[in-house]
Amino acid sequence: METPKSLLPITRITKYTLIDEVQQTSFVVMFVICAISVFLVRGCYHGNYIVNGQALDAGTIVRTLSKATFHVIAASVMVIAALLSMRLFRRDRNEGMQSCILSKPIARWQYVLGKIIGIWGLSVLFMFILHSIVFLITSISLKVFMPQFLMGSLLCSINLLFVVIAVLLLSLLMPDIAAFLCVLGIGIVGFVADGIAAASQSQIAQAMLRQPTGHPQSEMTWWKIVYVFWPKLLGVQQLASSLVETESSHGFGTLYPLFNVLVYCLILGALLLKRFRNEDLV
Amino acid sequence: MIDLNNVTKRYESLTAVDDVTFSVKKGEYFALLGPNGAGKTTIVKMLLDFTRPTSGSISLGSIPSTQAECRQSIGYLAENHHIPPSLSGWQYLLRCAELLDVSRSEAIDQCRHIVERIGMQGRENTKVGTYSKGMVQRFGLGAALMGDPKLLILDEPTSGLDPIGIREMRQLLESLKAQGITIFLNSHLLSEVEKICDTAAIINRGKLLVKDAIRNIVKDGETLEDVFVRLVKG
Repeated sequence: METPKSLLPITRITKYTLIDEVQQTSFVVMFVICAISVFLVRGCYHGNYIVNGQALDAGTIVRTLSKATFHVIAASVMVIAALLSMRLFRRDRNEGMQSCILSKPIARWQYVLGKIIGIWGLSVLFMFILHSIVFLITSISLKVFMPQFLMGSLLCSINLLFVVIAVLLLSLLMPDIAAFLCVLGIGIVGFVADGIAAASQSQIAQAMLRQPTGHPQSEMTWWKIVYVFWPKLLGVQQLASSLVETESSHGFGTLYPLFNVLVYCLILGALLLKRFRNEDLV
Repeated sequence: MIDLNNVTKRYESLTAVDDVTFSVKKGEYFALLGPNGAGKTTIVKMLLDFTRPTSGSISLGSIPSTQAECRQSIGYLAENHHIPPSLSGWQYLLRCAELLDVSRSEAIDQCRHIVERIGMQGRENTKVGTYSKGMVQRFGLGAALMGDPKLLILDEPTSGLDPIGIREMRQLLESLKAQGITIFLNSHLLSEVEKICDTAAIINRGKLLVKDAIRNIVKDGETLEDVFVRLVKG
C-alpha cells in the first residue's frame, strides 16, 4: 500500500525524533535504571506474605504484586514522558533542526504531528518493555501467564499521549520546567482526588458522610464538577489494571476515564496545532 | 520570484518591518542590506513563514509564503547555522535530502555530490560536534543546495568563515548565479555584495530606503559602503 504524500514527512520526522531521543545519554541512563529496578522486583514474588494471620497463596501474591508494579511503571513512565517532551521543541530550535525542517515543503502541522508521534511512540515502547519484563518474570519464573498485562500496558498509552501533548502545548506558553511541573501537578491532583473518591466509597466514610456536618450541599457541587471533568489518568490506569485481574463489567462508568482522557487529547492536540501554527520561530 | 507587498511586522510596540514593498526577479542576485536591527532577518523569516507579517502579503514563485509548497525549490542557510551535534555532516545532509521527498539512493547520490561541492570530503562522517564554525556553515550551505533549489535564501552566509572560506563561498555563489539560480543574500559584507550582486535593497529601522541595481545605487567615485553610510545616517 502506498503511503499518502502528506504522511511521508510525518513518518520521517517521527523517525528522526525517535533516533535523536534514543541517542541522548540521559534517555539511556533512565532506561537502564528503570529496567534494573523492574528486575529487582523479581525477588518480591518469592516472599511469604501474611495478612490477618493467614499466608497468601502464590496466585494472590503474583496478581497483587503484578498489579502494584503495573501502576508504578505506568505512573513512572508518565513522568519520564513529560521529561522527554518538555525540551523537545527547544532542543530542535537550538540545534537548528526546526528551521531545517520547516524551510522545506513541510507544513507546521506535519512537524508537530511527527514530534508527538515520535515521543509518544518512544514512551509507549519504554513502558511496554518495562511491563514486558514483569510479564516475562511471571511467565518464566512463576509460570503465571498474564497476556492481559501487555494489553493493559497498551491501554495506558493513552495517558502517555495526554502527557506528551499537554507538556508540548504548555512548553510553548511557559518555561519548560514550569510546563513539566504543571502536568505533573495535574497528574498528582488527579491521583489524590481519585484516591479520596475511592476512600469515600468505603463503609466508614459513607457512615461519616451521613452525619450532619452543617455544610450546605451546594458547596460540594463545584468540587464534584471539577473532579468529574479533571483528567482521569488514574482511572485509565485502573481500567488497564482491571484487565490484569480480568475483572468484569466494563460499563460507561468504567470506560468514562478512557473517554475523558481521549477528549482531553483531542482538545489539547487541537490547541497545540493552533498555537504552533501562530508561533514565531526564532 | 519573490514579491513583498506592503509588508509590516510589529512586535508589540516595536515595528520591525514597516510597509516594505519590493520584488526579486528570477535569476537575480539580490542583496538585502541594513545595519543591525534594521529588520533584515525578520524579512528572511517572513519569506520562510517562520514568522507571519502583521499586514501585507509575501509570495514566492506566485505561491503565498504561508503555503508549504512554495518551499519546494528553496534552499535556506541561516545566520549562525546549527546542526545537531549528535549527527555527522553526512547524516545531516541525508536528512535534508529525505525531507525533500527523494528516494534513499537518490538522496545518497545527492549527498555525495554536495559533499564534493562544499569541499568537505573526508570529514563528512565525523560528528558535527567536532566541526569548526566554518565547517558547520559549509554543511549548512550544502543542506541549502540539496534538491537543486531555484531560489537560495542566505542569511549571512560568510559568518564564521576565514578569508579563504569567504573567497570559496563567493566562487561557489558565482557558479550558482551562472546556473540561473535566484539568490537572496542578507549580508553585512558590503565589498562582497558589490562584487557579486546585481541588485540591492537597503533598509533601516524597518523602512525600505532604496531598491535598485547596484550600478544605479553606486554613483561615480563612490563605493556601496559610502552609499550605505550616507543613506543610513542621513
